[in-house]
Amino acid sequence: MISRNNKECVAMLLAGGQGTRLGVLTSKVAKPAVPFGGKYRIIDFPLSNCINSQIDTIGVLTQYQPFELNQYIGNGQPWDLDRLNGGVYVLPPYVKGKSGEWYKGTANAIYQNIMFIDRFNPEYVLVLSGDHIYKMDYSEMLSAHKKNNADCTIAVFNVPIEEASRFGIMNTDANNKIEEFEEKPKNPKSTKASMGIYIFTWSVLKKYLIEDEANPDSENDFGKNIIPNMLSDGKSLYAYTFKGYWKDVGTVSSLWEANMDLLDENSGINIGGNESSKIYARNAAEPPHYISNSAMVSSSIISEGAVVHGEVKDSIISHSAKIGQGARVFNSVILPGAEIKNGADVFYSIVGENATIGAGAKIGEMLKGPVNGEWSIALVGPNAVVADGSVVKAGQMISEKE
Amino acid sequence: MNEVMSVIFASDNESKLNELTIHRTTASLPFCGRYRLIDFTLSNLVNSGITDIGIVTRSNYSSLMDHIRMGRDWDLNRKNSGISIFPPFVLNASREMYKGKIEALYSIQGFINHNSAPYVLLSNSNVAMNVDFEKVFEKHLEKNADITMLTYKAVTTTSRRVVVESDENDKVTDIYLSEKPSADEKQVGLNIYLIKKDFLMELVEYHYARGFYDFEKDILTAMKDKINIYVYPVDGYVAIIDDVKSYYYESLKLLDSDPRNKLFYGDGVIYTKVKDSIPTVYRKHSSVKNSLIADGCIIDGVVENSILFRGVRVEQGAVIKNSIIMENGVVGMNSKVSYTITDKDVTIRENKEISGYESYPVVIVKGKTV
Repeated sequence: MISRNNKECVAMLLAGGQGTRLGVLTSKVAKPAVPFGGKYRIIDFPLSNCINSQIDTIGVLTQYQPFELNQYIGNGQPWDLDRLNGGVYVLPPYVKGKSGEWYKGTANAIYQNIMFIDRFNPEYVLVLSGDHIYKMDYSEMLSAHKKNNADCTIAVFNVPIEEASRFGIMNTDANNKIEEFEEKPKNPKSTKASMGIYIFTWSVLKKYLIEDEANPDSENDFGKNIIPNMLSDGKSLYAYTFKGYWKDVGTVSSLWEANMDLLDENSGINIGGNESSKIYARNAAEPPHYISNSAMVSSSIISEGAVVHGEVKDSIISHSAKIGQGARVFNSVILPGAEIKNGADVFYSIVGENATIGAGAKIGEMLKGPVNGEWSIALVGPNAVVADGSVVKAGQMISEKE
Repeated sequence: MNEVMSVIFASDNESKLNELTIHRTTASLPFCGRYRLIDFTLSNLVNSGITDIGIVTRSNYSSLMDHIRMGRDWDLNRKNSGISIFPPFVLNASREMYKGKIEALYSIQGFINHNSAPYVLLSNSNVAMNVDFEKVFEKHLEKNADITMLTYKAVTTTSRRVVVESDENDKVTDIYLSEKPSADEKQVGLNIYLIKKDFLMELVEYHYARGFYDFEKDILTAMKDKINIYVYPVDGYVAIIDDVKSYYYESLKLLDSDPRNKLFYGDGVIYTKVKDSIPTVYRKHSSVKNSLIADGCIIDGVVENSILFRGVRVEQGAVIKNSIIMENGVVGMNSKVSYTITDKDVTIRENKEISGYESYPVVIVKGKTV
């Protein structure tokens, strides 16, 4: 039993990133608030993972376009995080004494909230990022951390060796003890890519955060400063290998791919699950979706409140979206509330929240495959209006004003 | 609206819903893919600012308790108001089931009198509609009515509907129970009444003491000439569900966009218990036409003119037509289902054929495997 107010493990979710590589999707919202999979937002994954791992105290560190994210999280009730003691807290940067500053880096964001963490007097701190799609039981990782008597445990994911140079790579011994950390190595020695998920023994991390802050040359970043410093001091760092679906959705192409993985029974993503592994989301309170007599739907995912009169294939239709008669939506992701008017073609595209695609417009093109690993996805931003009959080419991006 | 509290009767006419209410009250009858009938009344109340709500149950109320819990999904988990559920007998020293609304109200008079709201809205829970009770309240005050009753225009095909006649001023001139089905459209009572609390409790005490129990018959019909009863006609989509036929008919009516938009996108949002199902997955062989599909389904077969509740599985080669498949139903490979209502957790195995008639749909009881 944990004594009053104390928590064994507090999670800190880094949600402050601007996510510039998602283009117009993050022009008004922080990356973790970007919609995913028909009824979710990216942040639903780490939040649901926490509650499914019996971690009920979470600090969400925000600074870029926080309003939508704050409103979405609210009191945390959809994730069962409205607690008397603990729960979910949105933590923006704040003025301290005479000074006050933005979060300078991932480590600085935690540093600025040492007081928040100390209030729960935790033994461990779980550091998460808000731009990955995965289902993970952090309690298993915590058990490994305890068993290894580690100062820091880093979750790693085995990537193909030819892709390893795009990741932060952990070189370990046979017992998974980390010997070396290489950020985007030209000649990777291992395939263990960091997932950006760390468990620290809080007393150790706190010391390193304070030291790091005192160093004016530091970038105050976990990957660049804290982890290398701990390694060079001979601290005990372990890799924890995660086997399951995991995807970084930091780019338009990878966000589209992760959505498409939902349609592939063999992708391993499986967002469903039983009571202990469900992904929770704030509910839209919409009636069931309606498929009309003129509609044709196959190999797709459709959520509540959507109305479909056209043809939908290999696509994700989010809640409250509307697909007009004669419209064709192939291999695309239609975000909540978007409307595709009659006769429009939407191929290999992401259409933003509440965007309107005019009648007969052509968005995107049928693609054969990725070029250099990137799909040339057409992107229509939230609230953008594409005029009747206009053409948006593959890979083109349309924002609200255009 | 702190001036109005509400009492909802969770059970009514259950006998005529047959198999569909063996396991539940009318209030918790599943409706339109993801709702229970009481969701409409609760949402209308909440959207109208009425948050002091008592629900009187008669039997089989565990599914209702499970659905409502603390009322959080309707934003009714409040400090100073919210939902109180009254199981039968709870306040009734005689240990007899109440026979009608008068007895039910008498048995919860403590709850009603304790509340500071001067007006009470009485409602059955077999109605699906989207209405603003604030407007009803305004009219009630404007007309200086003793009782305002909600009505709608309908053909009285089923029995025991309360038929109301009113003058050009909306004042009620006659009230009677229709025992014979008729093809003419009439003004029919929705069993929803707004009434001043002191007056209601006066009526309840007087009639209870004299052995009366039927609110419609013993109070409304009997006293229509002595007190001022006004009607508040509701237009838009209004459904009273009191037998299998009306359940089937009113459900499938929502496949038309006009009634559906009026019900769900009218004055207020309709809330229900959140179940966190994943969105519905359409597989390669799916072919769906003119249907309402809730979240959590997996469809690889044919679905036409039907309603699928949350978590239904339609396997390859299965054909569902003109049917209602409730939560977690499974229709196996190459099975054909038409004019059928399957209750929750029904499994139709492979290569089966089930068919009712439009005027008499087959009902398969909760949890059965065919």
